[in-house]
Amino acid sequence: MPTPKLKNVSRFLFVAIVTVPVVSGMVYAALYSLGIIGILNTEISSKAWQTVFFGKPFWSAIGFSLYISVVSMAISLAVALLISIKWQKNLRDGLLGTAIYFPLCFPGTVMAFFSFQMLSKSGFVSRLGFNMGWIEDLRVFPSWIHDAYGIGIIFTSVLLITPFFIILFSNLFKTENIASFQHLAKTFGASNRQILWKVTLPILLKRASVTIYLFTIFIMGSYEVPLLLGRQDPQMISVAIIQKIQRFNLNDIPQGYAMSILYVLLILSVVILLFFRNKNFFKTSAV
Amino acid sequence: MKKIVSLFILCLAMLACGEKEKKEVRDTSKLSWEEIEQEAHGKTVTMIMWTGDSKINSYMKNYIVPKVKKELDINLEITNGQGSAIVQLLMTEMQANKEKSDVDMLWINGETFYQLRQIDGLFGPWTSTVPNSKYIDFENPFIGTDFQQPIAGYEMPWGNVQMALIYDSAKVENPPKTRAELLEFVKSKPGTFTFDNSFTGLTFLKALLIDIAGNKEELMGDFNEEKYEKYSAQLWDYIRELKPYLWRKGEVFPESVAQMHQLFASGELLFTMSNNDAEVDSKTAEGLFPPTAKAYVPDFGTIQNSHYLGITKLSGVKAAAMVVANTMVSFEAQLEKMKPSVWGDGTVLNMEKLSENERNQFENIPSRKQAPNRNEIQDKALMELAPEYMIRLSEDFRKEIILK
Repeated sequence: MPTPKLKNVSRFLFVAIVTVPVVSGMVYAALYSLGIIGILNTEISSKAWQTVFFGKPFWSAIGFSLYISVVSMAISLAVALLISIKWQKNLRDGLLGTAIYFPLCFPGTVMAFFSFQMLSKSGFVSRLGFNMGWIEDLRVFPSWIHDAYGIGIIFTSVLLITPFFIILFSNLFKTENIASFQHLAKTFGASNRQILWKVTLPILLKRASVTIYLFTIFIMGSYEVPLLLGRQDPQMISVAIIQKIQRFNLNDIPQGYAMSILYVLLILSVVILLFFRNKNFFKTSAV
Repeated sequence: MKKIVSLFILCLAMLACGEKEKKEVRDTSKLSWEEIEQEAHGKTVTMIMWTGDSKINSYMKNYIVPKVKKELDINLEITNGQGSAIVQLLMTEMQANKEKSDVDMLWINGETFYQLRQIDGLFGPWTSTVPNSKYIDFENPFIGTDFQQPIAGYEMPWGNVQMALIYDSAKVENPPKTRAELLEFVKSKPGTFTFDNSFTGLTFLKALLIDIAGNKEELMGDFNEEKYEKYSAQLWDYIRELKPYLWRKGEVFPESVAQMHQLFASGELLFTMSNNDAEVDSKTAEGLFPPTAKAYVPDFGTIQNSHYLGITKLSGVKAAAMVVANTMVSFEAQLEKMKPSVWGDGTVLNMEKLSENERNQFENIPSRKQAPNRNEIQDKALMELAPEYMIRLSEDFRKEIILK
């Protein structure tokens, strides 16, 4: 039980390290986007907001980011659930239990380069296909990097997050005592299919739901991977924002800040909606 | 109460530090060069520059940094950053009312110079104070003017380069020389040509725009909206005709020239390009490009421009930065920089102002191998256009080509 003094220190640290910088950044961006501050801003104006809100680029970037995020999460969860349920013993006692931590060592940028080397037209898979006689020319190899469907980004995101979910589900399997529930369901005559769909998956997904939502948001906002493997159109939201802030036209900076605030507001709205639907949603002890 | 006292003490401490920093900055305009050198002694200068080329990095780290330390007792620290990142950094410092910048020297040109002048982030005029500036070829419009803007003493010319197209001579016998030939070539070899979506690609588009305009003088001077509309419409028509035959059918463009170099090295592209006409030699020597790689300038010409050294307005060590700049434009440093094995960067010094011995040394630099002869491509050199052309081309390229 933390003492009141320790509690106050923790609160102060949280406010100082998390709240103040984030809120300051938001306020700065808001003031800049409205022309209140900024060296090149000459008057207060909502022009940047209007351009962003009523223009196509912001919403298409949001849509594309959501698509990448949802597809990556769906694939990762499917693979992670399959591995953590089927190979429970290997994960607990075998080499896999240690090896699964290995991919977590790779930063996003390194994983993106790995994907590039693997999947690009002149990459490993393409060369393998060429040497095996499956394709006549390297250029015939399908576009999996810088492609319209974000295949390279999805592939890399899946590589980055799947090990994390395997570890999470594997630990939940133990802490939630799922084996006992499975055994109990079996004694009541449930089939393997029923055990999977009615017992194992609901417990694992319910317990991991907050993490799943947070990772969905995390992938939506990822930057390095879509920057390296994505294309100029469609763009993911972080890349689109940085392009506005850091390209040649300094007068586009207010638009970049307006985009970033609008994105944060959208995400916050979703989080608040989830919270009001279930006030225990973000409490880790709630099931 | 305790908290308020602590906060007060902290504020006082910060104010005290600010005051101390303020005192260190001396007005260099009133100092003689000897006094400036004295003032520079023992100082640390932070220089921000693009660090994406190992040869350039090596030249700075192994030649310039030890040279200024040994000769002037100045610690030169290099930090990574370019273009808008520099502008953003200085803008943030200025908005925060910082007394002293974290950055003293900048490697800049063109649009960054324009943006820094827009925000009044550069110190100057200072270049005429520097003794070695008397050897610089300021009369040369490719050196004394930066993107149609007079440098006006706010940046010191450091090097001069011309854009070149690089191709693999083992695979391409007759590289295209004109716009029509380029179109014909790209159509006959679909998927093997592209340009990047960044600085180099835009420089290539500018060369095409000047060619479309009909003569080198047509787009000179300040930005002209009417002319831009007229000629850019033709440019986008041309690019749209090329688009289906470009790499990845023009649905995507390499994000940087480094990525294009990789695609060229892997054989996916038959062409890459460089803003430095001599880069082909260094990239071949590194083993990135095949030995059969060659650089050339097509008949429609390419942009030649210079790159410069700037000093930030909020630098606390302006004197030391000026002394470093003086070393960087010295005969020895320029000669070393021009060697193809070192960097291959063109000099900004006026040969006629050098002694015969110095001139001979420049003339006896080991010749270029796959890079074109500088004198031969000079006739095809195009002046940089006003910065607004680049800004508009960048925006319209996205609208007219990428999003369509």
